[in-house]
Amino acid sequence: MKHWWKILSVLLVLYSLTVGMLVPLKTGIAEVSPLNTTTGEDVTLIIQGYNTNFGDAKGQIRAWLKVDKELSLLAKSFKVKSDNLMTATFSIPDKLPGGAKVKDATLILDSEVDGSSVLPSALFISQKNTASEFDVAEWSRSPIANLHEKDGMSFPYRNVLSETIRNLFYHVPLWFGMMIILVVSAVYSGRYLRTKNEEFDFKASAFTKVGILYGILGLVTGAIWAKHTWGAYWSWDVKQNMAAISVLIYVAYFVLRSSFDDPEKQARISAVYNIFAFAALIPLLFVIPRLTDSLHPGNGGNPGFGGEDLDNTMRMVFYPAIIGFTLLGVWMANLIYRSEIIENKLLNRW
Amino acid sequence: MKRITSITFLLTLLSVTPILAQIENPDFMQSIGKIYVVVASIVATFIGIVLFLIFIERRLSKLENQINDK
Repeated sequence: MKHWWKILSVLLVLYSLTVGMLVPLKTGIAEVSPLNTTTGEDVTLIIQGYNTNFGDAKGQIRAWLKVDKELSLLAKSFKVKSDNLMTATFSIPDKLPGGAKVKDATLILDSEVDGSSVLPSALFISQKNTASEFDVAEWSRSPIANLHEKDGMSFPYRNVLSETIRNLFYHVPLWFGMMIILVVSAVYSGRYLRTKNEEFDFKASAFTKVGILYGILGLVTGAIWAKHTWGAYWSWDVKQNMAAISVLIYVAYFVLRSSFDDPEKQARISAVYNIFAFAALIPLLFVIPRLTDSLHPGNGGNPGFGGEDLDNTMRMVFYPAIIGFTLLGVWMANLIYRSEIIENKLLNRW
Repeated sequence: MKRITSITFLLTLLSVTPILAQIENPDFMQSIGKIYVVVASIVATFIGIVLFLIFIERRLSKLENQINDK
């Protein structure tokens, strides 16, 4: 069974496609209106849920407006309109905590059926000019406790991302795969320079071809994702630009290769270029985007795609997807390498 | 061989056109929690891999021609 890793690659990609697409998202709060209110008033929030079953959860729904670490306000009445639509009425106390003029409140919904869902900065409360005293008891009469967890495997719900959080399995592994494949390519170039065995040079060029394919696919899938979350296909984000530049550097590798007639010269110079290209790739993808502002998670002060965004259920699909796409790339590189070896043998024979 | 390659290429292009039309339609892409963004990404990756297969295919037919000529 020398083909086991090819079978494994297909199985892992299939697994990430099916499980990654079929596991449902956790419940979430898609939209809330109105967006602002003043103190001392009763406000009725129209809450639009995502993946929720308000109809089944009726009677056990609880909702809070959380204004800081300790203070929260429990809703006094609910009306369920459909599985995805309900209203919650809060009576906002007369005085905001800490003498603030405006406070943003986080909305928290909880029920046994749906589990808990959170919408940060759901409502802005502004202080009306009244002389009343601040009363802690008005805010924290019913503290947030006994939150439920939804049963079964599910992926986190994030507001702008929504279902596109699944793109983590189909966009990010392409870049991880590209990195691994380009590392292999650079290692083969190094081995060529040490041994002068031209097979290593063929391997390096075959792996670079797959690396470029994955890079271009990463750029395309990233652009589609960006269009519907950041608002444009290309936002001139640092990481987007640097990724495009690094793909271009590797395209130049093949321009350089094709400009030599002498096979030994071609192999030697392109091996040196490949090592330098890899040395340029590290700062372009991992250093510069972290130094400035970037829309990508994990760059420029943005939190990484970790913690609650990449929870354990997502890891169960994400890591197999990386291994699967990488092995698939190795397979494709292997095919090119073999065809190049045949071509070379034919050239030598005649 | 060349005919098969061009037919594959044409079919790929034909399948891309309606997808591109849908991507341009924001209401469609935003529906059901933007799930079609993920579908579009998967389709793009698949098309990329198919184009790469065509590239390998053409390499191999070139080699076959060389063997047959000599």
